[in-house]
Amino acid sequence: MNERDKFYFKLSLPALFITFFIFLLPLFSVLTRAFQDGPGAVIDTFKDVYTWRLLAFTVWESLLSAVISVTLAIPFAVFFSKYSFFGRKAILTASDAAFALPAILCVLGFVIFYGNNGILNNILLSLGLTDKSIKFLYSFPSVIMAHVYLNFPVAFSLITSALSGMDEKEEMASKLLGKSNFYTFIKITIPKVKGTIISAFILIFLFCFPSFLIVMSLGGSPKYYTIEAEIYRRTYTDVNTVSSSSLALFSFMIMSLLLLVSGYGREEKKASRSKRIISKTKGRKKLEAFFLSFLIVLFLAPPLLSIVYRAFFTKDGTFTLKTWRDIASSSPTGAGTGMSAIINSLLIAFSASFLAVSLSTAISVSAVRRKSRLIPLLTSLPMAAGSVTLGLGFAFLSSRIPYKSIYISYLTVILAHLVVVMPFTVRTIMPGAKRIPSALPLASMCLGKGCYESYRKVEKPMLKSYRRRAFAFAFALSLGEVNATMALAEGKVTTLPILIYKMINQYNYQGASALAIILLFTAIVVFTFGEKEDKENVISGNK
Amino acid sequence: MSYLEINELRKDYSDFNLSLSFSVEKGELVTILGPSGSGKSTLLSLLSGIESADSGEIKIDGKDIIKLPISKRGISMVFQDFSLFPGMNTRKNIEYGMKEKNGKKRDQKADELLNTIGLNGYGKRKVTSLSGGEAQRVALARAIASEPDILLLDEPLSALDAPLRKKLRGSIRSIHDAFSTTMLYVTHDREEAFAISDKIIIMRGGKIEAYGTPEELYKNPPNLFTAFFTGDGTALPASLIYGEGTEGSVFFRPESVTVSEESIEGGLYPNHLVFNNVEVLSAEYTGPGYMLGLSFRGMPIIAFSPLKPKKRIVSLMILMDSVIKIKS
Repeated sequence: MNERDKFYFKLSLPALFITFFIFLLPLFSVLTRAFQDGPGAVIDTFKDVYTWRLLAFTVWESLLSAVISVTLAIPFAVFFSKYSFFGRKAILTASDAAFALPAILCVLGFVIFYGNNGILNNILLSLGLTDKSIKFLYSFPSVIMAHVYLNFPVAFSLITSALSGMDEKEEMASKLLGKSNFYTFIKITIPKVKGTIISAFILIFLFCFPSFLIVMSLGGSPKYYTIEAEIYRRTYTDVNTVSSSSLALFSFMIMSLLLLVSGYGREEKKASRSKRIISKTKGRKKLEAFFLSFLIVLFLAPPLLSIVYRAFFTKDGTFTLKTWRDIASSSPTGAGTGMSAIINSLLIAFSASFLAVSLSTAISVSAVRRKSRLIPLLTSLPMAAGSVTLGLGFAFLSSRIPYKSIYISYLTVILAHLVVVMPFTVRTIMPGAKRIPSALPLASMCLGKGCYESYRKVEKPMLKSYRRRAFAFAFALSLGEVNATMALAEGKVTTLPILIYKMINQYNYQGASALAIILLFTAIVVFTFGEKEDKENVISGNK
Repeated sequence: MSYLEINELRKDYSDFNLSLSFSVEKGELVTILGPSGSGKSTLLSLLSGIESADSGEIKIDGKDIIKLPISKRGISMVFQDFSLFPGMNTRKNIEYGMKEKNGKKRDQKADELLNTIGLNGYGKRKVTSLSGGEAQRVALARAIASEPDILLLDEPLSALDAPLRKKLRGSIRSIHDAFSTTMLYVTHDREEAFAISDKIIIMRGGKIEAYGTPEELYKNPPNLFTAFFTGDGTALPASLIYGEGTEGSVFFRPESVTVSEESIEGGLYPNHLVFNNVEVLSAEYTGPGYMLGLSFRGMPIIAFSPLKPKKRIVSLMILMDSVIKIKS
């Protein structure tokens, strides 16, 4: 091992140690809980028909959500990557921002807009289009629709970006050889973006597989529970932690298998050199552009606009600022606890994101320089555990700490958030680390600088925009995190989404909406910060 | 004792072995010339410490540096792709490796270097906005600024177009002369090597084939590989000239050949080799004349002629002194 290998190995050590410590320890505590009465509980869980039915349902809902999201996204992506028109950029930016949209906002928006007494039903009733409320929510379709709502923009954004980065020479050649537009699309365009389509599908599937909040809030019945939701139910409703831990173990094994099979973390394909030329819409295409944009806005905007509406208007339509006054006055009831929830959320998100970015930078650079495939795979392992399981693990751990303090609760929440966001920050920073030419740190060393100085002065500054994006992504994820926090904090540490969730369950939609606006606003600010152009960070430098 | 001494330096890979010894005097500009895969860049990696050698010595001024880390070797390097730091402006790049601590003196030194490379006023420019030629000069200035004992240049002009390459190789030589830095310059371009080098090392398959001044290597190549790598020429079996049983080859350059459209009587020219009945296969115009592709008893010969032969069959005459006998 030469001095550089030694340095990069040492660089990754603390980061890997912390990651494993905060990941393996809770996992281990879940594991010990599962085996505390011997292997019987685990064997029973693995043999139980219900476990396999849960798995089948979880796979089915994830599969359906991913297929619908990707299939819907393809035609929109093809059009948006080809034509330029008014509103295109705004819709694409909004789709990018959807990565940072907390699931709790989707739940709240759905409840307010599609609920039995929701805005849509009120409109339909007042227009006389229906005699009684239509039941959209609390069903399997509403779970799938919420998943599609959250993930369609993800698929749309990824596929549009992939298509925009490809030139159209092959398509032109196909058309010059006498093939129709449709034939060319099927035979040439689709195979070209096949990799991105598959990646988007896998990503959405893996997002939906451990779905918790949406199935708990919009499923309406335990028959629509995913494995993750069932783990939570067994822990807090049945109070059977051995059974829930056994199921968590089962879930971890299945997710690990899925991650391995799907090759999550594999190499990304490079975009072609020349990007496609985007043409302006004219005539009929202008009309098509308007129609497609309208469809996207019609699908995405109403739930979010409903939240904004309900934050200022009562159910009867009367304008009020009462909730906002409650938040500002910090009264100890209802939305009044909002201020402390806001502060908690910001503090926890900042701490978790800061730690995640620092650790992920060291891990990414080290993995790239040492050409390690194992490190990225290991850091994606927390995804396999699922946030409810991790939260549960931390809860078991903290129950063993004899010293009880609110600070311990905060620390465990921060660590739980850290381990939840780490796979995403590593994945955001890793492409940047890969783009730093290996000759640059060598050039620095040849100029008399040591390994650490070269890392600090040359490699780290070049990751500035990636680190910022990772920070924003982690911050948004942590800000919207419900699963681990709920599974762990037992109400000691109330974050914004937890408070919103509680208010939804208390039918305090106005309070929930006001807090949701704060959450949404913070997520948008953080997203904008993350997406800020960094012109200095062009990694090529040579013409 | 030479300034840089490489003694039995060895590096073994599964499909390639590098093994060589050579020495360089202080202030010399030595070019390492060879085809792709000959081990030129590997040699630089071993010298700089980017890769570690299996055995051998690398001595600078008598001190073996082979075990030292990259940053402590006193060897700087200019990379093929310039490797400027994109987060820093031009001045910051140049100042990066300076040993000078005083800010004012650093600035002054950077200004002098910017002036030397003809980029006065470029200090605050982002390196990402520089053209290829400018970036290469900044890379060179940055390396010089760190005051290395040895400066390595790994195909520094290969990413540039031909006219710019020609212009910049002159700049590199001028900078070398101005700072008297000992330089090892890797290239696969013969013309470039001839233009700037004090000496040339010719490499093949991880070994040194020849080492000498450009003129020595051109006029007296020790082997056929060097002969052909340093310029055009013809190799014929020695037995053709010296009779059956003579081993090896004879080699001559195209400009050593005189082409005649009339038959030549060998007896009249005892100091020359004479070939009659040579068939003209091709005639490529090169500006100063024609490079002729010829065939004598099925053997290819290259000859230079100021005029294009009108006949298909010609005769050739070569001064014996310009014919090199090569054993292998």
